[in-house]
Amino acid sequence: MQDTALIDVRNVKKVYHVGSVDVNALRGVDLKIDSGDICSIIGRSGSGKSTLLNVLAGLEQVTSGEIVISGKHLERMTQGELIVFRQRHIGFIFQSFNLMPYYTALENVALPLSFRGVPKAARLKRAEQMLEVVGLESHKAHKPSELSGGQQQRVGIARALVTNPEIVFADEPTGNLDSNTSDEVMRVIIDILREQGKTLVMVTHDVHIAAFGDKVISLLDGRITDIKINSEARSIDISNIREAEVQ
Amino acid sequence: MSITDMLSTAFLNLWRRKMRAFLTVLGMVIGVASIVVMVSLGIGIKQATIESFAGTGSLTTIRVNSWSYVSNGNGGGSSRQKELNKKAVGEIKKIPGVQAVMPLVETYGMIKSGNYMTDASILGVTAEQAKEFGITLSEGELPEAGGTNTYEIVLGAWSLGNFYNPDSGRQAVDKNGNPRISKDSRMLLTFDYRNVYKNQVVISMPSSDGTAQEEKPLAEMYKLKVTGIMDENNNDFSYYCLMDVAQLEKLAKANKDYVQYDSSKYNTVLVKCRNIEDVKTVKNAIQDMGYGTYSLQDAVEMAEESTKNVQYLLGAIGGVALLVAAIGIMNTMMMSIFERTKEIGIIKVLGCRIDNIAGLFLTESAYIGLFGGALGLGLSFGISLLLNQLLASSGLRSIIPAYLAFGAVGFSIIVAFAAGMYPAIRAMKLSPLAAIRNE
Repeated sequence: MQDTALIDVRNVKKVYHVGSVDVNALRGVDLKIDSGDICSIIGRSGSGKSTLLNVLAGLEQVTSGEIVISGKHLERMTQGELIVFRQRHIGFIFQSFNLMPYYTALENVALPLSFRGVPKAARLKRAEQMLEVVGLESHKAHKPSELSGGQQQRVGIARALVTNPEIVFADEPTGNLDSNTSDEVMRVIIDILREQGKTLVMVTHDVHIAAFGDKVISLLDGRITDIKINSEARSIDISNIREAEVQ
Repeated sequence: MSITDMLSTAFLNLWRRKMRAFLTVLGMVIGVASIVVMVSLGIGIKQATIESFAGTGSLTTIRVNSWSYVSNGNGGGSSRQKELNKKAVGEIKKIPGVQAVMPLVETYGMIKSGNYMTDASILGVTAEQAKEFGITLSEGELPEAGGTNTYEIVLGAWSLGNFYNPDSGRQAVDKNGNPRISKDSRMLLTFDYRNVYKNQVVISMPSSDGTAQEEKPLAEMYKLKVTGIMDENNNDFSYYCLMDVAQLEKLAKANKDYVQYDSSKYNTVLVKCRNIEDVKTVKNAIQDMGYGTYSLQDAVEMAEESTKNVQYLLGAIGGVALLVAAIGIMNTMMMSIFERTKEIGIIKVLGCRIDNIAGLFLTESAYIGLFGGALGLGLSFGISLLLNQLLASSGLRSIIPAYLAFGAVGFSIIVAFAAGMYPAIRAMKLSPLAAIRNE
């Protein structure tokens, strides 16, 4: 095939069976995302955006269609293979941070490395570097309960990037944060990913947050309605967008 | 995940719920202790039975008789005799597993000391045989060939106390009940009762030609030198007096008018096997030669068979407690998995392999088994100690051999592992989507 897209989604459908009723969450989605893209998926609740993210990250099986990431067909993989795939290629940032409450910030960041069998000393060193990147090196010994929401999400970002993945998926990464902290956290995410040339696929219902992406994909009722290329995104000024929205 | 990470993570997961982990371990402790104590009592019963047999002889000794019983296959049978001679003894010696063979060269005589006498069953042995068959003395040394006029003898364990006056029938003991005869007393050996019962009227039976038996001259009296006393713990042998086998044969031949003795054949031959395991094959080989055999092992085997059922029963009673504990583990692990559904989802999203997830939960259960087993074993040793003191008088004993101790801990880990299997599979199957849901 001639296309070299990192993520290639072909006519993906997802049907949930709720009792005797079939709910069509995705009704045939085609999408290509290139390596290095910062990509936002926006839509109302029920639009299927979360489902799209889940199937892209291999957390859910599609009903039909194909998902090819780095040349591998996700829809053909078993759960075990999907986990190994995630281990190698994917980082994940959650809305509710999902840090382990009994581990320190440092241990939380090091956790994905332990699943890859990295020895303790090496993974703690790498985790420390990542905490430095997100600006939390002074908080490495803190438990999540001792950190603010923004700080917790920064730990989450460090954790998502510690394994050096090609693609980072983010599910409403600022959903539990106030607007000032949201901007701060988005800056951290975008800056690091741009610098490292990684691909981001982010789901949000917030237009303002979506505008951080180079590519903004709008979803409605399980179909893509619009793909906007945001050429200014790379030098975007948040205050301008906010004003634009107000007007 | 590396093994050390797995072990430490699983341990921390348990540690986070100390109380629950403690209670689950406690259940396992009780389960393991109950099974170990029950089985230890069973082993105690078996041991006591074997020892009660072993007290009557050596377990590696086979008694070979010239008489044997031949079953004809329909419940009946007949006895047959095959001569046990020196040639047969030589053949038995060649059977693999045989350590030593000792024909029972024994005869009956009387030992006289002053006015007192005692009856003596005298066994002829060599120093080598005595050693092989574990014949031990409480004092002194084994008899040697000795001189021509003096014969060396080892007295039976109770011989000194058995002297009595043949005329009055009084025991040769002083007021305090101690024997008057000591091993240093002068002693004479004879095989002719007339040397001892001199003052009694001998009822003479007329012989066919009308002459009285008394015409037979009095048999000789032999000077004895006591070299030692038999040990009371010699089982079969304690009662015997010992003499050198060549000396005894010589005396028996010289007195063949008074003792029935045929040096060409034996009634009984004792065979000592190298190991307890050899007894069966040696026995079979001897039986194939046409002789009758008897060994304590036969009795011990029967006793083992009969105590086996008791052991099974005791083990089963203990097993019930362990089963309840295993269900407790399963319950704990299931609860733990339900509580940690989200956590399991998160680590799945973060790339924890499903076999690692199963491994984590199995390790947790195995820890419960390990701690439960180890603490349970400690408790068992305590209970066993206590029982042995309380039951000392009743003869019941609790014995925890090494194999039971290690077996109990190993078994408890396996049981815990098995109990953790289903919860672990459940954990493997949990959806990673649980991590995404926002409660």
